[in-house]
Amino acid sequence: MMQFTDWDILRNLLLAARWTILLSLLAFIGGGLFGLLLTILRSMRNTLITRLIQGYVEVFQGIPLLMQLFLTFFGFSLIGFEVDAWTAAVISLTLFSSAFFHDIWRGCIEALPKGQWEACRTLGLSYLQTMRYVIVPQAMRMSIAPTVGFSVQIVKGTALASVIGFVELTKAGTMINNAVFQPFKVFAFVALLYFLICFPLSLLARYLEKKNHVAR
Amino acid sequence: MSLVSLDKVHKYYGDNHVLKGVDLKIEAGEVVSIIGRSGSGKSTLLRCMNGLEQYQKGGVIVDNQSVEDDEYKLRLLSRSVGMVFQSFNLFPHMTVGQNVMLATKLVLKKSPSESKKLAEELLEKVGLSDKFSAYPGNLSGGQQQRVAIARSLAMSPKVLLCDEITSALDPELVGEVLKVLEQLKAEGMTLILVTHEMNFARDVGDRVVFMNQGKVWETGASDEIFANPQTEELKSFLAAVR
Repeated sequence: MMQFTDWDILRNLLLAARWTILLSLLAFIGGGLFGLLLTILRSMRNTLITRLIQGYVEVFQGIPLLMQLFLTFFGFSLIGFEVDAWTAAVISLTLFSSAFFHDIWRGCIEALPKGQWEACRTLGLSYLQTMRYVIVPQAMRMSIAPTVGFSVQIVKGTALASVIGFVELTKAGTMINNAVFQPFKVFAFVALLYFLICFPLSLLARYLEKKNHVAR
Repeated sequence: MSLVSLDKVHKYYGDNHVLKGVDLKIEAGEVVSIIGRSGSGKSTLLRCMNGLEQYQKGGVIVDNQSVEDDEYKLRLLSRSVGMVFQSFNLFPHMTVGQNVMLATKLVLKKSPSESKKLAEELLEKVGLSDKFSAYPGNLSGGQQQRVAIARSLAMSPKVLLCDEITSALDPELVGEVLKVLEQLKAEGMTLILVTHEMNFARDVGDRVVFMNQGKVWETGASDEIFANPQTEELKSFLAAVR
């Protein structure tokens, strides 16, 4: 029987961590783009569109990510599309994060004082000009910190993709433990790697929050 | 034709009847102070003159344009009516100069150099020519409010609406803002102010409108109103604010 050194364990976990990072990145980019689209659609102030988006956000925020993963993974095969674990994970994490990103950004836009809109109206700016020159630049600045902060949630959310068989950090940990039977050591390594990915993001979010706070 | 003319204006917030048939005419060049207790509808009245509030009955005509709930018409109207707010409402992410130039570039389509020249002139007029590149957050309240006035003036409005523009200022900063208003009056600008500055209303204003219970309760020449109030309500109001 083959012996695993600590370095073997760590090396294999590090290799698996690539997939955690890649999955996080794809979810961040996909969720960001889709969340942005939702935010733009919603800013058109159409009652029907707003209701639909509100419903979308409620659904994706109100169902555990794990269930969303199951539903995507098994749901697609039900309607005749075979999706692999990788695709299912990217799709559900993208939808999940888009709901949260949209909510964060909408909140930032609505947090701006009503007086900013009124000043623009009295100056004769159109709705689009108001958004483009006054609202979005301020809302963007405000949203940077919570957006980076939420990316930590995405990273941790990728761990759930292990249950549909996607081999990322958590799944790799489980598999290695099945070979070495040293659960505490293996999962301590797994936890450490998650922390090493998330902690810099938290620090960045805190730094950006402070920086933008002073700038206001 | 009066510059501003309100005809039996009624305004409701839900069941709350805020304006109960207001008639008011204001001529070009007049400086009119609107005074009254809080909740008497004076700010709402002012905001009906530029479409920030919709009214339900009656009519408002400013500079020969009917003030209606219509985006396009309100944008045209904004060239005739400027407004300065209690909370300044400057754009904090732009410099003072950019604040003043934004609408001249986007709305009046003036060239950047033309806009800049105008902004510099206006900032000089309000005594802030050295603050062109400063950010609003680094200015005092009085300075911010003077920038807001310059920003409004950049659209060369025919009438400037001032909604309690000194109420958020420390007492020692009120004077510098009122001085700018006096200067504007001297140049012939029409000013309509909702104000608590009774001295300013009396000394600089031509006419005072006393609002009470959503109506124009009493109106008249400034010195007359303060020296010789006719109604009990105005007498008790003046006694309370003095």
